[in-house]
Amino acid sequence: MKIVITGSCSISCLGTTTEQIIESLGAAPKIGTVSDFGFHSFSQPQPCFNIPNFDPEPILGKKGLRTKDRATKLLLAACELGFKEMFATGPEELRPGLCIGTAFGSVQSIGDFLSDAIANGPHNVNPMAFANTVINAPTSNANIRYLSRMSSTTVSTTFNAGMDAFAYACTYIRSGHAKRLIVGGLEELSYYALAGLAKSNALSTKGTCMPFGSEADGFLMGEGCAVFCVETEESAKERNATIIAEIAGIHSCFDPKQEKYGYNPDASGAEHAASKAVLQAEILPNDISFIAASANGNPHGDAMEASVISKLFPKVPVAAYKLKTGECLGASGSLNVACALTDMHAKRISGAAGRYGINAPIDLVFDTREQVASNYVLVNSFSCDGYCASIVLKNRL
Amino acid sequence: MKKERVVITGLGAVTPIGIGIEAFWNAAKDGSNGLRPITAFDTTVFRTNIGGEVQNFKPQEFLTATEAESMGRSSHFAIAATQMALKQSGIAISKENPFRVGVSFGTTMGEPQILEQCIENIFTANKTLDTLDPKLPGQYPCGKIAAHVARHCNACGPVIMIPTACAAGNYAIGYAFDMLGLDMADIVIAGGSDPISKIAFTGFNRLLATAKESCKPFDKNRDGMAVGEGAGAVVMETLTHAQKRGATIIAEVLGYGIACDAHNMTIPDPSGSGGILALNKAFSNANITPDTVDYISAHGTGTKENDKIETFIIKSVFGEKAKSIPVSSIKSMIGHTMGAASAIEAVACCLMIQHNTLLPTINYSEPDPDCDLDYVPNASRCASVNRVVSNAYAFGGNTSALILGRFGATS
Repeated sequence: MKIVITGSCSISCLGTTTEQIIESLGAAPKIGTVSDFGFHSFSQPQPCFNIPNFDPEPILGKKGLRTKDRATKLLLAACELGFKEMFATGPEELRPGLCIGTAFGSVQSIGDFLSDAIANGPHNVNPMAFANTVINAPTSNANIRYLSRMSSTTVSTTFNAGMDAFAYACTYIRSGHAKRLIVGGLEELSYYALAGLAKSNALSTKGTCMPFGSEADGFLMGEGCAVFCVETEESAKERNATIIAEIAGIHSCFDPKQEKYGYNPDASGAEHAASKAVLQAEILPNDISFIAASANGNPHGDAMEASVISKLFPKVPVAAYKLKTGECLGASGSLNVACALTDMHAKRISGAAGRYGINAPIDLVFDTREQVASNYVLVNSFSCDGYCASIVLKNRL
Repeated sequence: MKKERVVITGLGAVTPIGIGIEAFWNAAKDGSNGLRPITAFDTTVFRTNIGGEVQNFKPQEFLTATEAESMGRSSHFAIAATQMALKQSGIAISKENPFRVGVSFGTTMGEPQILEQCIENIFTANKTLDTLDPKLPGQYPCGKIAAHVARHCNACGPVIMIPTACAAGNYAIGYAFDMLGLDMADIVIAGGSDPISKIAFTGFNRLLATAKESCKPFDKNRDGMAVGEGAGAVVMETLTHAQKRGATIIAEVLGYGIACDAHNMTIPDPSGSGGILALNKAFSNANITPDTVDYISAHGTGTKENDKIETFIIKSVFGEKAKSIPVSSIKSMIGHTMGAASAIEAVACCLMIQHNTLLPTINYSEPDPDCDLDYVPNASRCASVNRVVSNAYAFGGNTSALILGRFGATS
C-alpha cells in the first residue's frame, strides 16, 4: 500500500506561505527573544526562534479563541490555513481524523494552572483552564473545531514526536482504520519548557544554533506547527488530489543505550532507523538527493547523527534546517519534513547562509544549491531519550 | 491483507487495592474499596479529599536507587507493571531480537509530580530558577515513561507514548495490536501509567466532579469520580511468536476502535456520538457482532453525565441485548487512574476471562432510571466470560473500545 502526502501547511519563524518559507530558508537565521510569560518571566531575554506577532484571529476569527492557549491556536491556525475546505466539505465520515505529535503539549497552560492554584488558592483557579491541562488538548480542540470524529491521537515521544506521528499514521492507515489523516507536529514556546531546558544545560549559552558546529554548545528553542494530509494513494486518486510526495520509507525505533546527555555514541538506533527507511523505499543510499538533518547544535546528538551520515550516506548533501527554525521539540520532525518538501519542490538545498566550522566529515550545505534533482529526501529525527525515526520522501510533483 | 493474530501472555498491575496481579485480583474479586483520604498533598483546602492512592509502593523493589531517583512515580509504576507482565509471560527478554520488541504506553498527565515539584520550587525561590534541581526538569516529559520502560527491557523496536488522557491505555494497546498485526514486532509491552496529581485533583474539584465519600458508578446517588493512580501493563505477542515459544495464552486481542466526540473538551456529547462510533469501529475491526459479547468493562467514572451517556451508548450499540450483558466499573474500587485506567481495566478483563468471574461495581445501592443495565452490583459473579468489551473515554472527547476474547473460544 502506497502512502502519500497531498497537502501541507506550516507555521514557524520561517513564515507560513511557500514564498515566505523559501525566502527565510535562503536567508540568515532570525533569532528573537522572549522573557515575559505572564505568571513567570525570565530576568534576561531568552534567545529563541519564536513566531513574532503570531495573531490567530485573522485566520480563525474571534469566536472560541478566548479559552484556547498558544499551542492550540498554532495547531488550529495551521489546520485552518491548510485544510479548512477538506474539513468543511463532504460527509462527516470522510472528514479526516488527526494525529499530532508534541513533546510538551499545552505545558504553559498546565504550569500556569498550578501556578494559579499556588498563588491564588485552588478555589480561585479558572475551571475552564483545566481543560487545557491534558497533553492532548490541542489535538482534541482541532477535532472539536472541525467536527472531526473519526480519530484524535496525540503522540509524545519527546523531540521525536513530530516524526513519530507519521509513523503512527502510516501504521494506522495500513491497518485499515482510515484512508487518510491530518498528521503533524506542534510545539509552543513556553516558560516551563525554556526554563527546564535551560536548567538542564541543553540550551546554547552563546545564544547560537549551529548544527554540527565545532563551536556549538547547545541549541535554541523554537516553536511552530506543521500539518500534512497523509493518505493512501488510492484515496488520493479517488478524490483527484495532487500528490506532492510519497512516504517511500519510514522507520521508527528505539536506542536503549544512553551515555551522558542521552545519546548513544555508537549510533546503532539512529543507523537502524535510517537504513531501514531507505531499505523500505527500495533505493540505494546514493539515490537520496539530500538529507534533512536532525542536528540542532547539541554536540553529542550531532556527533551521533554525523557518524550515521558519514557511514551510510558519505556523498549525500546535508541540510540543517534547525539553524533557521531552532529546536522545535515535538514539532521538529514535521517542520523538517515541511522544509525538505519545500526545498525538494524548488529543486534546491537551502544552505546555512553563513559559514562556521564543523566537526563532522559530511557535506553540510552552507551555500544554497540550486537546480538540484530532488527525487528522494531522507529526513531524520533522533532524540536524546533514545527515540529514532527516519522517513524517505519521494518527489511526486 | 492477512494480519497476524495478537495474544496477551503476561499481565502487570499497580493499583490502589493491590500491587501485583494476585493481590489486585483477590482484592477486586472481594469488592475492596481502595479509596481513602489522599496523603500525597494537603487536601484540607479542597471540598473533597478521597482518592485512590497506591499503598506501600516501594520503587526499590523494581529499580536500583539510582534508577529510581532518575525518574518520576509514573515511570516507577510503569516499570513495575512491565516487570510483572514480563515475568508472567515467561519471556527471556535477553534472548529476544531487541529490534522486534516494542513498547506502547499511554498516560494522561505523564509525570505531573515532577512539574509540581519544579513549580513549587520556583515559588519558594521567589519565582526564580535559582534553587531548581537541574536533574528534575528532564524527568517531566511524558515520553520519558515509555523510554524508561523500553530501556528497562532493552526494546529497540518501535516505542511510542500516546497521551490521549483517560482513554490512553486503550489507545496504547490498540496501537500495539496494529504494530503486531502488521508484523512490525514480535512482542510489544503495552499499558498505561499515571501518578496521583495535584493538578488533576485541583481541576476535578474545581469542576465539582469529585465524589465526597465513595465512588458510586451508575448509582442514582452518585456524586462524582475519585482521582486515582496506578499502572497496568500487558505483554502482547503475535500468536505465531507465542506458540513458537510455547507460551500460556491469557487472552486474544480481537480488535479496537477509537473516535472522538468532537463536542466539548470536558463534557461528553449527550448523543454519545464518539462512544458509539468507537464501539462500532471496534466491532468492525474485530469482525464480530455485538450479540457475541459476554461482558462490558465500563468507563464508569461515577459522574452523573458520564454514566448516563455511557449507558445510552451501550443501549444504542447493543440494542435489546444490552439489558442482558453485565456491565461493571472497577473505578468504584480503585478510583479513576487516568491514563492507567483502561490499561488496568484491560488487565482486569483478561483476569475475568481467565477466572470466569465478573468483577463488581461496588457502592451500588439505588438504581437510576437513566442507568438501567445490569451493573454487577457489589459482589463478583461467576459467569462464562469468553468475549469482553472495554470502554474508555477522555477529556477532549477521545473515545475508545477494546475487544478481548478467550483464546480459542468461538461464539
